Amino acid sequence: MEQDERDMSASGVCSEFEPRIMLFAAGELDAAEIAEVNDHLLHCAECYAALARENELLALLSSRHVEPDAALLAGCRASLEDALDQEEERGWLRRKIGALVPFQWIAPAPAWSAALLLLTGFAVGILGPRLLRHPVAPGVASAPIASASAGTVATVPPDSNNPADTTPGSLDLHSADVAGLNVFPSGDNEPPQVELQLRAQRPFTVQGTVNNDDVKQVLMYIMQNNQRFGPDVRLNAVDLLRARNNDPDVRSALCHAVHTDQNAAVRMKALEALNGAEPQQLVQQTFLDALVGDQNPGVRVEAINGLREMAAKGQVESDDHVLAVLRDRMQKDPSTYIRLQSAAAIRDLGPRQKF
Amino acid sequence: MGMSVALDGDARQAAAVKHAEEHALVRSAQAGDRLAFEALVRRFDREVLRLALNLVHRPEDARDVYQESFLRVYRNLHRFRFECSFYTWLYRIVTNVALDHLRRRTSRREDQAPVPEEAEGGTRDFFDRQPELRPAANPEKHLLGQELGEHIATALNRLSPRERMVFEMKHYQGLKLRAIGEMLGTSEETVKNSLFRATRKLRASLDGMR
Repeated sequence: MEQDERDMSASGVCSEFEPRIMLFAAGELDAAEIAEVNDHLLHCAECYAALARENELLALLSSRHVEPDAALLAGCRASLEDALDQEEERGWLRRKIGALVPFQWIAPAPAWSAALLLLTGFAVGILGPRLLRHPVAPGVASAPIASASAGTVATVPPDSNNPADTTPGSLDLHSADVAGLNVFPSGDNEPPQVELQLRAQRPFTVQGTVNNDDVKQVLMYIMQNNQRFGPDVRLNAVDLLRARNNDPDVRSALCHAVHTDQNAAVRMKALEALNGAEPQQLVQQTFLDALVGDQNPGVRVEAINGLREMAAKGQVESDDHVLAVLRDRMQKDPSTYIRLQSAAAIRDLGPRQKF
Repeated sequence: MGMSVALDGDARQAAAVKHAEEHALVRSAQAGDRLAFEALVRRFDREVLRLALNLVHRPEDARDVYQESFLRVYRNLHRFRFECSFYTWLYRIVTNVALDHLRRRTSRREDQAPVPEEAEGGTRDFFDRQPELRPAANPEKHLLGQELGEHIATALNRLSPRERMVFEMKHYQGLKLRAIGEMLGTSEETVKNSLFRATRKLRASLDGMR
């Protein structure tokens, strides 16, 4: 009667004790639980039989359990020693790389491995050439270069952003590299012929004089993105654009080179190219900026010489700002030549000024 | 009573010495001492091989599990930070390797078309090739023993890799459920459930054999 009131499991033992019998046989019960199960087993034949069956099952399975023989163990040890020798031969480098690259994760996941390899290849392909072309000059902050570059790109004529426009400047220049720049002198008073070979996804060659708009656009692009091209290419570009220094775009690009190019020779060449351009506030200010801010004394000399030449032609406005800059240079420039030339320029520009 | 306390003290001291030795061996192996690493291997490799052999059954597979496990230990020893015992850490690696092996074998078996049963004398399980010493003189008993072995192998094959691992570690390696949980990276309760399921499945498969 008592048995009928108990909750029995499908296997015919008390539901409450079924898991405990398994744990009892497995030796996983604590002293209090063991005492409780023992007490129950004294009064429950079904659970007692279940425990006997459990022990029988374990004994049966134990009969099929094997111990590794000595030969197998010796073979395993020998194979492991060989494998360890090979592992040591590969040296510490592999282990260091292994710590960084999850080979164990990659090996059983070929799809992920392939994706990772593709991604790595893509990243190296895209970033590698850019990193190689963009060495940051010592002492030059990278942010101003980046912003100058971004700013000058915006000066490209708006129609060049039109995908239908097939001019080189809008089409491929952003990823192009100058493979060759050849200059062929022309006859008297004729601008030289230029041949620009550009390496891009679709290589192309631009030919013509600097009066050709495509040639001009490529040369201006070189100057506006000066960190991407070598100084020799930039010097050639400045030299060629000099013939069009009255073109507002060219003038703007030359001023940009004076302000941002990392190479002093290019900055000097750009000042030289601007000398003789139609006098404009922008040109005058560029000379003054170079005179005050350029760290290279050669560039400052070029700037003061240019200002004096322009002043001699009456192309410099003798306003307070110009005179203040010249006075400052006359007193503070470390170069004696520049101090003397600044004083001379003040005399040229403002004979009535009192010092 | 006094004798028992003295024995307990001796056992604790021996365990402490063993633990200190193990710690020193791990430190030396981490510093690149190959001999120290081999000493660690010899300390544990019989148990590792026993576990592998009883899980994967074929000696060549057991040898693969053994080698792969110790190579992983060798490559990753610098990452061991003594947050658990070296034994637990080692078994974590061994069980992972063995489970991978069992899973691969299960998926291969599912991918393959059914293979006709081997003729007598063909390739059989390692357990079937073990000499049956006791009933050797009695062919009838030998046959029954072989039949029983096949039944047990079938019953064990019905367990999932994890259930099989838990059953093996509990009943044949003599590990506590908590330790098994640590090694398998799961809770004691989950291990308990796996053991319960494994026992039920085995009981159902082998009920008629006893």
